[in-house]
Amino acid sequence: MSAIIEINKVSKQYPKTEKPSLNDISFEVAKGSKIGIFGPNGAGKTTLISILCGIIKQSSGEITYFKDNQPTGLKEVLPKIGYVPQDFSFFPELSPYQNLMYFGALYGIQKKELKSKIDELLKVLGLSHVIHKKVGKFSGGMKRRVNLAIGIINNPDILFLDEPTVGVDVQSKNAIMTYLEELNVNGTTIIYTSHHMNEGQEFCNQILLIDQGILITLDNLDHLLADHNETSLEALFLKLTGIEYRD
Amino acid sequence: MGKLLASIKKEFLILVNDKVGLLLMYLMPILLVFIITLVQDSTFKLVNENTIEIVVVNNDQGNLGDTLISLLKSSGSFDISEQSNIESTKIQESLLNDDHLLAIEIPSSFSQNLNEKANNISSNMLQEFGIGEETTSKTNEPVLPLSLYYDPVLQESFRFSIVSSIYSYLSALENRLMIENLYTQMGYDEIPDAMEQQFFNNRIGINQISANNAAGEVIPNSTQHNVPAWSIFAMFFMVISLGGNIVKERVSGSFIRLQTIPASFSLVLISKMFMYLVVAITQLAVIFMLGKFIFPFIGLPSLSLPSNILGLIVISVLSALSAISFAMLVGTYAKTQEQASGFGAITVIILAAIGGIWVPTFVMPYYLQQIGKISPMHWCLEGYYALFLKGGDWYLLTPTLIFLILFILACQILIYVKLKIQNYI
Repeated sequence: MSAIIEINKVSKQYPKTEKPSLNDISFEVAKGSKIGIFGPNGAGKTTLISILCGIIKQSSGEITYFKDNQPTGLKEVLPKIGYVPQDFSFFPELSPYQNLMYFGALYGIQKKELKSKIDELLKVLGLSHVIHKKVGKFSGGMKRRVNLAIGIINNPDILFLDEPTVGVDVQSKNAIMTYLEELNVNGTTIIYTSHHMNEGQEFCNQILLIDQGILITLDNLDHLLADHNETSLEALFLKLTGIEYRD
Repeated sequence: MGKLLASIKKEFLILVNDKVGLLLMYLMPILLVFIITLVQDSTFKLVNENTIEIVVVNNDQGNLGDTLISLLKSSGSFDISEQSNIESTKIQESLLNDDHLLAIEIPSSFSQNLNEKANNISSNMLQEFGIGEETTSKTNEPVLPLSLYYDPVLQESFRFSIVSSIYSYLSALENRLMIENLYTQMGYDEIPDAMEQQFFNNRIGINQISANNAAGEVIPNSTQHNVPAWSIFAMFFMVISLGGNIVKERVSGSFIRLQTIPASFSLVLISKMFMYLVVAITQLAVIFMLGKFIFPFIGLPSLSLPSNILGLIVISVLSALSAISFAMLVGTYAKTQEQASGFGAITVIILAAIGGIWVPTFVMPYYLQQIGKISPMHWCLEGYYALFLKGGDWYLLTPTLIFLILFILACQILIYVKLKIQNYI
């Protein structure tokens, strides 16, 4: 599979900190892959994902995106990138419909197409019955689904998700993961972080382990488990990152 | 354009979805203007309409006490309530308990003292001229003074102006008596009409001219001051809602999500500015309409709109943009909503106080007047004063226009710098 992102010696040092949050990270993201970024608290997962989708700038190193197989910068690929942050990044005073109309319009999606996309998304994510209710009054699971819907309103080629299922019930988690699986089958490359090892084991076809800003490994899960003689991602994680607290 | 319209629509929906917040945004300034204008109306009337309520206790056994009261009444400056046979302690109690601010007590020997004083002076004058005879019995009894009782809350300068006014009527009375005495001692029954005309009715007048470019003079009153002043205050109090709104969107991550979307961040700021500008201008329009059409129904003076309507629009838009820029600046630099509302509210109150919103700057000490010039509210108010009280000439508006434009630019640059540092722009 061809690469959709190339990360080359990327480092990030925040001001007034002794150690870099990311230290000389290099890897490639294959088109159509489902990469799970795992690591202890403070490992640099959110920093890495924030750099990849342009929220913060790396201190050094290069990132190349590929649009129509041509190398290009982030600005050019932004319309085809989706981002689902860990925080609820929407307007709680507005309904799911109003939120999606706003973010969809910012992507430049035409009104007719946008309305149809919103109907489809809200139906798939089980939010059709609350389409005009204020999001602020929703349950945690419903808010997560709205958060996801906004991140994929533009049919992204690359989707970044930062802990998309944190604090949700089993039903919402199932709905979210099923839909992500469907998106991936339809060609969306997914890069996601999570603390749920079982979820990651089931969902991802590639595992990236990061600790103290250093990339420990990136490989197919089956290979990793076989190489380290482990049966689960959680056991592998503890083996490679240790059992000490990190925060 | 579609993105900008979507942003403006989003801001509009957020505003209208918070119905209580929206209602407060309009209702609170209206209440503020109503209450402060009502409270200050009597003070303005006291100073400007010159009808001062005063109690006069006339204990005089002659008729000159009545003459003095008539003179005070005829001046049109005093609303006199006459009382008699009241002890001094009772007058003080009356002032403390009643609504009156001032009382004058005329002593029982007032007529006798004045007559003796006038008689002595006129006799001495005639003797000096070698006309009169030397009198054997000159009275040197001390003249009992009038007593002025006042409420301690009364400003000293205002009290002095009342005393000066009473002095002028008292000396008019003394002069008349003295001249009458002179004529009597020279054998006339009364002062000839022609002389009386020259003596008493031929005073040099004082023309009072307001420094005003307007064709018709607008008299400063509680409405002319309070409607623009408290409208400015209400606009700047937008810092609580707009400042808080920006912090909330920043903290909640909406700003972060926007960084991953192919839309300029300035769209978000422009749409916020536009929406809140609409709110501020409609706030002003509502308050001005109330001042113009509703105030007269509740006994308050009607708001006189300036002839320079374009000037009014320009000053209003710049005042609103100053308030919005200040609110955005606070919202950009504050880390929490509590910081934004706490710091914003206190700062607005301080800027209002030194800017002359509560009391005019000319009554403040010199150094505070100079400090007050850093307050954008001072310049907004200066602009409205120039429009509402001084005819609104563009030349008079220029300092206000320059300061407000510079203030808006300074705020916007500081906002840009902070957002740039935070990688939002």
